[in-house]
Amino acid sequence: MRWLRALWQFLDDRLELQPLVDFAEHKEVPQYRHSWAYYFGGLTFFFFCIQVATGILLLLYYRPTAEAAFESVQFIVTRVPFGWLVRSIHSWSANLMILAAFCHMFSVYLLGAYNKPRELTWWSGFALLGLAMGFGFSGYLLPWNELSFFATRVGTDMVSKLPLAGPWLLKFLRGGEDVTGATLTRFFGFHVAVLPMITTMLIGLHLALIQRQGMHVPTRFEAEARSRRALPFLPNFVMREGVAWLAGLAILAALAAFFPWELGVKADPFASAPAGIKPEWYFLFMFEALKLIPAHVLGVEGELLGLGAFAVAGLVWFLVPVLDRGLRRRGFAILGWLALAYIVAMTLLSLFGVLK
Amino acid sequence: MKTSWLIPTLFVVAATPIGALPSATAVGAPGKQAADRCTACHSGLDEARLKAPALAADADVHHLQGVTCAGCHGGDPTSDDIATAMDPARGFVGKFPRAAIPEMCGSCHSNATFMLSYAPNIPTDQLAQYRTSKHGQALAKGEINVAVCTSCHDAHGVLPASDARSPVYPSRIVETCGACHGNKALMARYGIKGDEVAEYKRSVHYAALTTKNDLSAPTCKSCHGAHGATPPGVSSVSNVCGTCHLTQREKFDLSPHKDAFAALEQPACESCHSNHAIVRPTDDLIGVGPGQVCGTCHSAPDAGTMVASTIASTLTTTSSAVGHAQQRVDRASRAGMLMDDAVVKLEEANQALVVARVEIHTAKATAVAKQSNQALVASGAAEKLAATAEAEIRFRRTGLFVSLAVIAIAMLALILKIRTIER
Repeated sequence: MRWLRALWQFLDDRLELQPLVDFAEHKEVPQYRHSWAYYFGGLTFFFFCIQVATGILLLLYYRPTAEAAFESVQFIVTRVPFGWLVRSIHSWSANLMILAAFCHMFSVYLLGAYNKPRELTWWSGFALLGLAMGFGFSGYLLPWNELSFFATRVGTDMVSKLPLAGPWLLKFLRGGEDVTGATLTRFFGFHVAVLPMITTMLIGLHLALIQRQGMHVPTRFEAEARSRRALPFLPNFVMREGVAWLAGLAILAALAAFFPWELGVKADPFASAPAGIKPEWYFLFMFEALKLIPAHVLGVEGELLGLGAFAVAGLVWFLVPVLDRGLRRRGFAILGWLALAYIVAMTLLSLFGVLK
Repeated sequence: MKTSWLIPTLFVVAATPIGALPSATAVGAPGKQAADRCTACHSGLDEARLKAPALAADADVHHLQGVTCAGCHGGDPTSDDIATAMDPARGFVGKFPRAAIPEMCGSCHSNATFMLSYAPNIPTDQLAQYRTSKHGQALAKGEINVAVCTSCHDAHGVLPASDARSPVYPSRIVETCGACHGNKALMARYGIKGDEVAEYKRSVHYAALTTKNDLSAPTCKSCHGAHGATPPGVSSVSNVCGTCHLTQREKFDLSPHKDAFAALEQPACESCHSNHAIVRPTDDLIGVGPGQVCGTCHSAPDAGTMVASTIASTLTTTSSAVGHAQQRVDRASRAGMLMDDAVVKLEEANQALVVARVEIHTAKATAVAKQSNQALVASGAAEKLAATAEAEIRFRRTGLFVSLAVIAIAMLALILKIRTIER
């Protein structure tokens, strides 16, 4: 191990890394009854790393054109050694990442961790969830199968309802009037270049803010946290996080092996849309709500009204560190529980076919 | 027939200009909806019998093409005055007797020159065909209860046959024919059983029409003809069925059955498949046992029985092999394996099995065996691909359990380490 120490010395002489190690060694994670919620952020990051690794492997064979995309994914899952596993893990990990991100966001919200001085962490996290959903939306189209093609057509069509910029945004997303090979190439570019670049930078910022400000403890649990011994970040918290990551990996492996992600049939732009077109589960709560709204409400187009309502809700969610001050905390907590109940209920009702 | 009714009827028929085209005032420009005073008055009448035709005129194909009520009924369609509009001197005939209807409709529909202006794409031989039909022949003999044009097409509000609401549209024609032919009491008067429509509704043809919405599926008129409706004779049954089932007919014509059936004066297809209640044939029909069709003519130990037995055995073996391969491929698909190659092989196998079943019509065991072998080769290839997929599934599951075991050990080691350092 002498060479390892020599290497460390070499780097430390030049980069002065010792203060970082000292910081990590002295860093502590407070313990109270809800400190389990701290692990969701790390778990989301773990799934993101898996996405990057498997995404790079898929890039070796994937071809982003309407003519070859489906066949290249078919080739990956049938001919490339362990290609089925890599693709299946990529798809499942994407879903688990978004699930973990939702859990992380709601736990942060309900514990009130967005308040001063952590507004920037909340906003960067909010942006990261948006980017994760952007990853999901753009990646869904890439296998160029029937479901993804029509779901993208429906999804992008909703953008066109936006006032003023709607038609322009639709053209920008689709690369033309309709979903075509140009859309696929565009989405591929977003998925493997634009979104990863922004996401990586934001994750860096998000993590830096957390390290700078330390872990949040809600006021009502401060006494409990003080009465319990804090957990050293190194090695205790890291090892505990490691157990959570391994559990995530086990779930991922089981899902990928027992429920390989389906490929479906190749998209045919001239075919009529198959029945029961649905987006990914994390868009269902919006999709179903938009379907339930009547075509016109008080002379306003229903879809536009729905999109407007979601935009306002998203803005409130984003601005909650500014809006939630002191006494209003209880009201915002109820709002959070209602939002969670609404999202869970709509998603489950849609998945189990109650909403048609 | 009541003579009191017959006398005025004959008088009216005698006065009707049957065979003549409508007067110039009775028809307008082709393609331009007719405007007449008849509908204007009749639509305001209280008596439903007189009002209904006027209300139906708007959707009537004749009216839409410029033919007024006077086109059939005569009179002056431009006059508001009842006496003028319905003046017999101006050709007004009122209600037609049934017996006169075919000739009246035919006065335009058999005139190729006249029809060219209004509907150049429809044939003009309906009346000629009708005269050859059982309906037409019976009518000529004075039987007025038989079907005439209006029985199937309606009198007023006539729709083109291509209109889905028309009684002669493919999906509705069975009920139209069945209105009379499903009436056993009425059919008994003509020596017809009256259960033909009910039987047809058990057939594969009706299933294709109603469940698959296949408008090209055979209906009554496909085999019997529409205007020239008549039952196909013994010698022409195979021609009728063969218009769609070409290959089966060709195979049958090459078989020893062709001459044998002709000698026995047996209809070709109908002998084994029945006529109206043509159910989906199964391999179980082949043989001389109970419910099997070959036993109608053959009995052990004649050569035909041996051939039937060989064909049945070949088909049963092949069908079972293809079915087994299908099950394995489906199982692998459900386990998440992509089985496209195997599906192609199964399609080949099923295709060959279909051809083998068609070869039954040759009554040659070797011809059936040749196609069956192709099906067996293809299903064998599918089985092989399914076996490879099953091995892959086992490998994946083993790999998963090994991975899970490694992960579990790592988790356990970490938990033990955490406990040690936190003690």
